Amino acid sequence: MTRTHIRRVSALALALCLGGVSAQGATTVRLGYFPNLTHAPALSGLERGTFQKALGSKVKLDARSFVSGTTLTEAFAAGQIDLAYIGPGPAINAATRGMPLQIIAGASEAGAVLIARGDSAIRSYADLAGKRVAVPSLGNTQDISLRHILKEEGLKLQTDGGNVVVTPVAPADIAAAFAGKRVDATLVPEPWGALLQAQGHRMIGNEKTVWRGGRYPTTLLIVNTRFAQANPTLVANFLKAHADAVAYLGRSPAAARTLINAQLDRLTGQKVDVRALQRAMTRTRFTTALDLKALTEYAALNVEAGYARNVPDLRSFVNLGFKR
Amino acid sequence: MSAPAPRTDPAPVRTRLPRWRVLSWQLIGLALILGVWWLVTDGLKLYPPYVFPSPSQVWTEISYGLWGTGPQDGKLLSAIGGSLRRVLTGYGIAVVLGALVGLLMGAWLPLRATLGAYLTGIQSVPSIAFVPFAILFFGLNERAVLFVVILEGFIPVALAVSGALLNVPPALRIAGRTLGARGLSMTTGVLLPAALPNVLTGLRTAWSFAWRALVGAELLISGVASIGEQLEVGRATANVALVLASIIIIGIIGGVFDALLRAVEGRVRRDYGLEVTQ
Repeated sequence: MTRTHIRRVSALALALCLGGVSAQGATTVRLGYFPNLTHAPALSGLERGTFQKALGSKVKLDARSFVSGTTLTEAFAAGQIDLAYIGPGPAINAATRGMPLQIIAGASEAGAVLIARGDSAIRSYADLAGKRVAVPSLGNTQDISLRHILKEEGLKLQTDGGNVVVTPVAPADIAAAFAGKRVDATLVPEPWGALLQAQGHRMIGNEKTVWRGGRYPTTLLIVNTRFAQANPTLVANFLKAHADAVAYLGRSPAAARTLINAQLDRLTGQKVDVRALQRAMTRTRFTTALDLKALTEYAALNVEAGYARNVPDLRSFVNLGFKR
Repeated sequence: MSAPAPRTDPAPVRTRLPRWRVLSWQLIGLALILGVWWLVTDGLKLYPPYVFPSPSQVWTEISYGLWGTGPQDGKLLSAIGGSLRRVLTGYGIAVVLGALVGLLMGAWLPLRATLGAYLTGIQSVPSIAFVPFAILFFGLNERAVLFVVILEGFIPVALAVSGALLNVPPALRIAGRTLGARGLSMTTGVLLPAALPNVLTGLRTAWSFAWRALVGAELLISGVASIGEQLEVGRATANVALVLASIIIIGIIGGVFDALLRAVEGRVRRDYGLEVTQ
């Protein structure tokens, strides 16, 4: 190996280590989000151009949608995501495993409902005994909530010797899974719950009965710690845009619905009925605030579900004071 | 055992090492792998633990999963139980079904020319490609997993049985016929015993196909205690140590069963005089 070779290799290694985050300031911000109403700040912010405007013309916004926190976390681990809207379940798990992330704001609360197939006999949580229940992904926020509901009802999973089966199905695919009778119920984020309801399926638990009377975070805003350290201004600007997007949802819900619908249609190929979307929005609260107590309790539910062995110290990855 | 006769011909190429030497080389290899693994993770810290965990982290997952006593522990153990039950059921059905179809194909050439060709074609489709169809047809349940396992397992058996039957030396058929074997007695008394070594190779291929198909299907059809689900849970919760633990267990189980079948195969081949013991 010649000296030039060594230099080249080490330069390459250094570039790989830095993972595309340059100290000079990023020229691209890679944002992750899901096509759910609980991610409405992302959906409307993207459709309105709020984020791009806040980042300025020199920075390119590269927004990528994910089916669930699982795939997003993988992209995050691979260093392909700088900022993301994500549920507390995957965020806590990722942080617990040592991924360099910081929770910097809340985005939505509640907004998940339990829907049973219209032709099933399910009328209450207790009726889930012996049934097959879908969640967006194993280990995701709704999965953790569902496992807690089942425990409260004294029901056990088939994998733990009980008779309830929890199975991952992407929310946009639940209608087809219901039609094929592959699942009997689902705990889904909005607007998929309201959409299923509009198709004649039955709501068994609303956003308030899922957990804590509806006072729980469903979506958070996270940032890659190294990206935040290298680009504090960009993150601060994005946070302002996020706050603006949340405020917009409260200020002009009707206009926001149109924007959200356009994004959902583009991402999932499904147009959500306006009334269903309206109903879904009343069940979801958009806020930049984050209830730390609820988040800690969520981490405890995560342990209860068997996805982690201990509740992590939230102070190590929640940074709500990220401002400039 | 009589003393070996003095050799006049050149010594044959050694294909077997003494068992203790194989074992010691394998142990050295394992130590090397673990050493390099430790070096790039805990030693040099080339990768963050959420991308590539260290041997000790994976060991922690294995120990909690196999003999942990906490309320959520022991999941790998129940997963292994579930997966083994499923693969043995599927493999058992596949072997019976494959033997039947193989016999029919061996007995009737038109069937072999048509079905045999289709089966070879189907065999080239990765098992995971059948999972979406199985889910639609059977639902998100164990039957869908079994379907894929049986489908993948029975084809090698059927092809091996029919192939082995066709490769039975004509002399054996003639001898059998002279001794009065006809129809069923010819099949069970002459052809199948003669085909056994090749059939056993098919059974071993079928095992590895079935085991791989099982894990692939379990990955997509969760909700039943299975190693595939443990792998998926690890992935879903960013627990790479659990992912690696599952992969190691999948490899160990697959390897142990393959070794068992290989031993049976070797025994039969030696009994048939196809392999010489030193």
